[in-house]
Amino acid sequence: MSLDFSAVSPYIPMLLAGAKMTIQASVLSVLLGSLLGTFIGALRVVPFAPLRYIAAGYIYIIRGTPLLIQLFLIYFGLPSLGLNLPAFAAGIIGLSINSSGYVGEIVRGGIEAVPKGQWEASKVLGLSYVKTMRFIILPQAIRNMLPAIGNEFVTLIKESSLLSTLAITELTMVGQQVRSVTYASFETFILVGIVYLIMTSSTSFLLQYVENKWKVA
Amino acid sequence: MAESCSKAVGNISSMNPPAAEVRNLYKSFGDLSVLKDVSFSLREGEVVSVIGPSGSGKSTLARCICRLEEINSGEIYLYGDRIDNGRHSNRDIAHLVGMIFQQFNLFPHLSVLENLVLSPIRILGLSRKDAEEKGVALLRRVGLEEKRNSRPRELSGGQCQRVAIARALSMNPKIMLFDEPTSALDPELVGEVLDVIADLADSGMTMMIITHEMMFAKEVSNRVLFMDEGKIVEEGTPVEIFSCPRLPRTQLFLQRMLVHFGRELTEADGKEGCDRVP
Ligand SMILES: Nc1ncnc2c1ncn2[C@@H]1O[C@H](COP(=O)(O)OP(=O)(O)OP(=O)(O)O)[C@@H](O)[C@H]1O
Ligand SMILES: [Mg+2]
Repeated sequence: MSLDFSAVSPYIPMLLAGAKMTIQASVLSVLLGSLLGTFIGALRVVPFAPLRYIAAGYIYIIRGTPLLIQLFLIYFGLPSLGLNLPAFAAGIIGLSINSSGYVGEIVRGGIEAVPKGQWEASKVLGLSYVKTMRFIILPQAIRNMLPAIGNEFVTLIKESSLLSTLAITELTMVGQQVRSVTYASFETFILVGIVYLIMTSSTSFLLQYVENKWKVA
Repeated sequence: MAESCSKAVGNISSMNPPAAEVRNLYKSFGDLSVLKDVSFSLREGEVVSVIGPSGSGKSTLARCICRLEEINSGEIYLYGDRIDNGRHSNRDIAHLVGMIFQQFNLFPHLSVLENLVLSPIRILGLSRKDAEEKGVALLRRVGLEEKRNSRPRELSGGQCQRVAIARALSMNPKIMLFDEPTSALDPELVGEVLDVIADLADSGMTMMIITHEMMFAKEVSNRVLFMDEGKIVEEGTPVEIFSCPRLPRTQLFLQRMLVHFGRELTEADGKEGCDRVP
């Protein structure tokens, strides 16, 4: 068999626009997901059991169900409660919530890796639990967590392809559109795959760079 | 440091409550009973050393006083204020008592000066400028002004502990607790830290020092407590405890410490001797 990219090449700008959407969705979701996840992770270690259990339950549910189902619940399910979200918003919320479950576990691990003496020194200096968390523990935990958060970002770039099921014109969705007009399925999805690969590897590279810089600083 | 031996703590009005007072303190970890009916008090301006074998509960006692441990029963008062009932915030306690740890526990992600200004800004409400001025003054006091922008990991152990002392002082505590401040240090760095502590003692700070440095305890303190198996079993002036201990177990402990100390000295001499011979 032979591959012929000539039919697909006119659509490359469209694919790149899709890639841009993918990046936007991933960046937004990783930011929101990390914020929410940091909060969830912090709740996992508070000295108040009910809050710990709630956070643990949240993480349990998020990590135990498919992202696709979470997206469907938000986009197709919530309208029955009278909440109609635009596809992009629903997609971002779904991805962020999903990511927060994983980031939550990463944050919990990062917090628990900070030595107990840091908590104690902060306490005898008069800092409250929340201030200790904010000024002493989280800044150290986040540094330890950076590699894992980076992986989560890369994962998110790939998983954002599920947003195509909500008809969001991200890379995978655009790929399907291109295929349906060119019928060059193989060539189209090879190209789509390559664009994903470029996005994930350059993200990894960038994160590696940031990590190294941060270590020296 | 010789003056500090004879430092007088008399003529303090008996109307004033002690700086710290512990009454009938019991503390256990699970089934392990660590403090068994401990009572003692620390008068304002007094320097008390606590000695005793490993596991006797010295650290636990200090940690109860600065509320790092919950107690099982008994009462703890700081300046007449009962602090073991959970009614005080961390801030309230920090105004009264500072704690120095064996492992320094500096904040590694902050510069030396940031370590020192954090609490004054966040807890005392000082402006950054005032806090930094104060921080630099404290660093000068421990001889580390030039390290203000270093990270803790760029410092030697002795320097770390001096920064930790300056940091504790940044909250203006009325009492300082030291939990084996020099035990984690290389022998050649012990002296610089003990000098800072001795200066603090001379300045009139109320202190409780848990230490295995017997010579230092003897020189710097007004009173020495000997703990064993969760109890204060003997207390007295440095002369009483070190020169004529009453109890056989105090004698035994001191004997062991001195033998250990003596051996270390001989070893050091031996090494130096080797160095001199090419
Ligand atoms: N958090 C804890 N959980 C369980 N047991 C503990 C805890 N902290 C201390 N202990 C135990 O309590 C006892 C007293 O410990 P503590 O640290 O007060 O002794 P210490 O006199 O300071 O000894 P050292 O000279 O070795 O520092 C020890 O048997 C120790 O194992
Ligand atoms: Mg100890």
